[in-house]
Amino acid sequence: MSSKPLYMPPSSVPLPPTDAEVFTTACDYCIVACGYKVYRWPVGRDGTEAAGGNAFNMDYPTQTMTGAWVSSNQHNIVAHNGKPHNIAIVGDRDTKVVNVGGDHSIRGGTIAKKCYNPNTLTRDRLKYPQIRVGGKLHRIAWEDAIDIMAEVSKHVIETRGRSSWAMKMFSYNFWENTHALTKLAFRGVDTAAWAVHDQPTGHGPDTPGMSDAGIDNFSASYEDWSTADVLMMVGTDPFEAKTIIYNEWILNGIRNGMKVISVVPRKTQGVAYAEQNNGLYLEINPGTDVLLLNAMARIIVSKGWEDSEFVENWINNKTERDKEVFQADGFDDFKEWIMNYKYARLDIAAEKTGIPAEQIMKAAEMVAKPRADGQRYKTSFAIEKGLYWSNNYGNTAAITALGLICGAGNRPGQVISRFGGHQRGMMPGGRYPEQEAPEKFPGWRKQGIDVDRWVEQGRAGFVWVIGTTWIQAMTASRRLEERIRAQSSGHGDQPTKLDKQHIIDVYKKRSDNGGFMLVHQDVFPVEPIGTEIADLVLPASGWGEQDLTRANGERRIRLYSKFNDAPGESLADWDIAARFARAMGYDGFDWKDSNAVFEDAAFYNKGRRTSYVALVEYARLHGRRAHEVLRDYGTTGIQAPIRWEDGKLVGTARLHDSTLKTGTASGLTAIDPRWLRKFKTKTGRANLLKAVWETFGDYWEFMKPQGDELWVTSGRINEIWQSGYDDQIRRPYLMQRWPDNFLEIHPDDAKARGIESGDMVLVSHDKIPVEVGGYSNSEADRKLRGATPFRADRNAEQADEMVKVVDRGHSESRGIEARSMGNADITEPDELLSAFGAPDDSGTDADRRRRKREAGDAGQDIDDPLMKSIESGIGLRWEDVKPMTFTEMMKNGQVEMDSASFQGVAIVTENVKKGVMFTYFNTTTKNRAANSLCGRINDPISQRPRYKLARGLVKKIGESDYKHSFSQMSFKSRAI
Amino acid sequence: MSNDIKSDGERPCESRRHFLLAGATTAVLAGLPGVTSAMNMLVKEFPRQKVGQLSQLKDNQPIDFQFPTSSPTSTFVLVKLGEAAGGGVGRDKDVVAFSNLCTHMGGPLNGSYKSKHKALGPCPLHLTTFDLTRHGMVISGHATESLPQGRLEIDGDDIYVTGIMGLLYGHQNNPLAVTQL
Repeated sequence: MSSKPLYMPPSSVPLPPTDAEVFTTACDYCIVACGYKVYRWPVGRDGTEAAGGNAFNMDYPTQTMTGAWVSSNQHNIVAHNGKPHNIAIVGDRDTKVVNVGGDHSIRGGTIAKKCYNPNTLTRDRLKYPQIRVGGKLHRIAWEDAIDIMAEVSKHVIETRGRSSWAMKMFSYNFWENTHALTKLAFRGVDTAAWAVHDQPTGHGPDTPGMSDAGIDNFSASYEDWSTADVLMMVGTDPFEAKTIIYNEWILNGIRNGMKVISVVPRKTQGVAYAEQNNGLYLEINPGTDVLLLNAMARIIVSKGWEDSEFVENWINNKTERDKEVFQADGFDDFKEWIMNYKYARLDIAAEKTGIPAEQIMKAAEMVAKPRADGQRYKTSFAIEKGLYWSNNYGNTAAITALGLICGAGNRPGQVISRFGGHQRGMMPGGRYPEQEAPEKFPGWRKQGIDVDRWVEQGRAGFVWVIGTTWIQAMTASRRLEERIRAQSSGHGDQPTKLDKQHIIDVYKKRSDNGGFMLVHQDVFPVEPIGTEIADLVLPASGWGEQDLTRANGERRIRLYSKFNDAPGESLADWDIAARFARAMGYDGFDWKDSNAVFEDAAFYNKGRRTSYVALVEYARLHGRRAHEVLRDYGTTGIQAPIRWEDGKLVGTARLHDSTLKTGTASGLTAIDPRWLRKFKTKTGRANLLKAVWETFGDYWEFMKPQGDELWVTSGRINEIWQSGYDDQIRRPYLMQRWPDNFLEIHPDDAKARGIESGDMVLVSHDKIPVEVGGYSNSEADRKLRGATPFRADRNAEQADEMVKVVDRGHSESRGIEARSMGNADITEPDELLSAFGAPDDSGTDADRRRRKREAGDAGQDIDDPLMKSIESGIGLRWEDVKPMTFTEMMKNGQVEMDSASFQGVAIVTENVKKGVMFTYFNTTTKNRAANSLCGRINDPISQRPRYKLARGLVKKIGESDYKHSFSQMSFKSRAI
Repeated sequence: MSNDIKSDGERPCESRRHFLLAGATTAVLAGLPGVTSAMNMLVKEFPRQKVGQLSQLKDNQPIDFQFPTSSPTSTFVLVKLGEAAGGGVGRDKDVVAFSNLCTHMGGPLNGSYKSKHKALGPCPLHLTTFDLTRHGMVISGHATESLPQGRLEIDGDDIYVTGIMGLLYGHQNNPLAVTQL
């Protein structure tokens, strides 16, 4: 049998000539944001293969590791000022940070192919606003599209309340865009029906156990992943989709003797290499992390291996609240608790995690046992969604406690941090209006609006979806899709002619009749929300089509340069938001370009870890645009918070770094200087939290596979980014590699079910728990979730008891933040703080709050009693938590059972644990989304989802096209 | 339905014709600076290069060879996989040839053949692996191209390499490019 690949590589690739224009940017995909250079030159003026004849000044063929080879997938032809130009996009061979020397992933390495070129599969880019009339999309003018949206929005807000106007948006797609969109939602509309792409609510910390301990979850610098002696990674595999953290930092660490412990149910090339080099692979059952971590902590304290000097200096030893569930009264209390806590026992951990007891012992020894001379190894801890999207509060609290007793958290090579998923692109334009959210937990805590349930319950009259599939994302519940369709494309009120007033009138009527107008805004058509459902589809511009900014996973800010034209009439998301806001009559949206948004946003962002107000002030002092100052930093960028010291802008390598040396402040840094060296708590010391199993164990037992079922868990792979929205299905080389979704299954499990690699399989379950209801005035809802007004805005009704308890004045009395949690103040001098004329830790709480208010802490979630009351577990009693556990929700009728299935191509491999199947987390596929099998039962404390936990029955439904093909897909082991 | 493009059962002389066409292209490109005159020599005087004999090849015992020049970027491996592969020749369609340079950053793959997986790699630089049954497709890792595959033909017991599909690492113009195997 002969064959040829689907993707035929061309036999030559043009080189940029010496006078090619060069732009710096960073990759659009994963958190690492490698630095790239874009070379642009007019078609027909290529460089030559001799040094002196090309922009790299290199003789071709080049040798290994020059970073100057341009592969065919790194070249494209794009439009610049309407004329065709070649581009070559290659990892920046000159960079000394992140992707040192131009290293790159397969995603970023082929990023040139995502650029719009009508001769490629990108030809279906959205180019014009389109409205659905008679079931079909028709082009309309931008002006008319904006008018329709504004007129309908005004009517919906007027008649049904502000929170009937809902927004579901990406959280990552550049600061200028997210700032404008959130400013519109929070300061313009003032709606609480707002959520980001990956969560039902979308505000507050992703890793609340870390926040409550006082640790910023992006505190680390990439060098910390190289300089530890031992690195423990839980629920994450950086080789897959955080590629360069692995390639340039972890791999070099391993080669210098660093030992890596990988806690995941699936082995990859990166895990295998770490294991082969003195590392440890703990093949864990999904969702059981807290048991492993508690067991390790218990072994450590029982042996006296804790870092007692660190504990003495840096751990709070007191909590004020009685009956507190989570916070320990210092180390001694933690020790006593964990030595007596059932779910810290080694035998229970071994049984439920499926990890042999001796391996758990070994892991505890590696992270904490001092050398014979008493010196400690430096240990760092890294986490991601396998950890925090299964048992959100418990797992994040447990890993942080384990890390802290090992002395990690505030020194180089000794950190506790996330690796990250997408880039850090959220730049709040206002505060989430918590008071507007009508639901509360039993007890007293407020809850942000769950936009999925809100929409399902018929509370929306206008819904704007930006840069997310929504329906396949989240828990992809069938109920959500059915309810969205019923209230929009399937609603009785549909426009019948392309007449603006008619269209406006129909959507108003639809809202009056309980439906909503649905707007979808994206770069490509998205199935089905854009192609089948949305009333209005808006074309957004993307990466490389505007100057934009954001930060990577070590808070490194870069300018992402514009180098090609946006197709058709597509506009930047910020621009669309601003046009709509002006049509609504809102002030503060008169930006003339993306730099103006960037400069404006800096002052809303002062107190956050990505603070760059110093950069803006510095630029203004020098009569320059902030974007241009940032452009000077090229692919190196600068790490936030950006400080202005001794006349220069200075980056901050890591947060709460006790070894940090600062200079004399020249200007406003505008981040609480305590965070630079100390933990993010009142005292600057970290809190040890007790991670309990009981808030989660009932759900885990329910979700545990029974009979013939297997675990279904999901994650990323290198070749695909997110839903594949612009890469996997439009870049031919990657399409060839992954033409369809896959399902990895262990050989024993496969054999028992007659499944071979290449077979098409169906994975299904008919008992998927889904939280339902709420947001009604029914007696049941009132009893469980408090009074829910019909109009969802605070002006409509008297403030009720619920509102009082979350008001600032009231919530202070909850005593969440103790006035004194340590024995004595930390006395080390802090030059930076002195420079501001304020001694650290001095003054009353009121003084500090006043200082924070003056600093304008928009969007900030730390040291804010209101936010703490919603998101924190600190101060909670068991009576507060219990009603929101799965068991109680079942008893109270808040859960219904749904059914779902998805398809994939089987890959039989020993790399996945027996009893566990692994699939891609979010492929947009005609065969539905894998996460539709996840339950929609959120964490009782944080309301974060549990995407990584599902189970299902798997069966072969036939052979895939790829089983006997040599052209597409590979079934080989990803851990050779 | 399979997506394979089936072979038309072309005979060696037809292959030669394809090759000569490709060679002509190369000769034109050779006018550019940096393409050595040795290339012209190859096209004219070495239309095909013998790289082994079927009778001597043993399953899973790879043989390295230089092709098409003696430069460091012209290192190839010939291997009889013991199972059919895309572009494979011989009775079992299992004899294949691939570049030995990783298409990520040019790491040397010499000696990295894994018989259990019919794969090259992991690359010693950043661990990329390649599937030799699937035209050198990336299994896992970072390369942005499949491993360039040598086009083989059989003449009696002799195995010849006559061209390359895919751009060799380091090159901007493919010496001896072919579009079919």
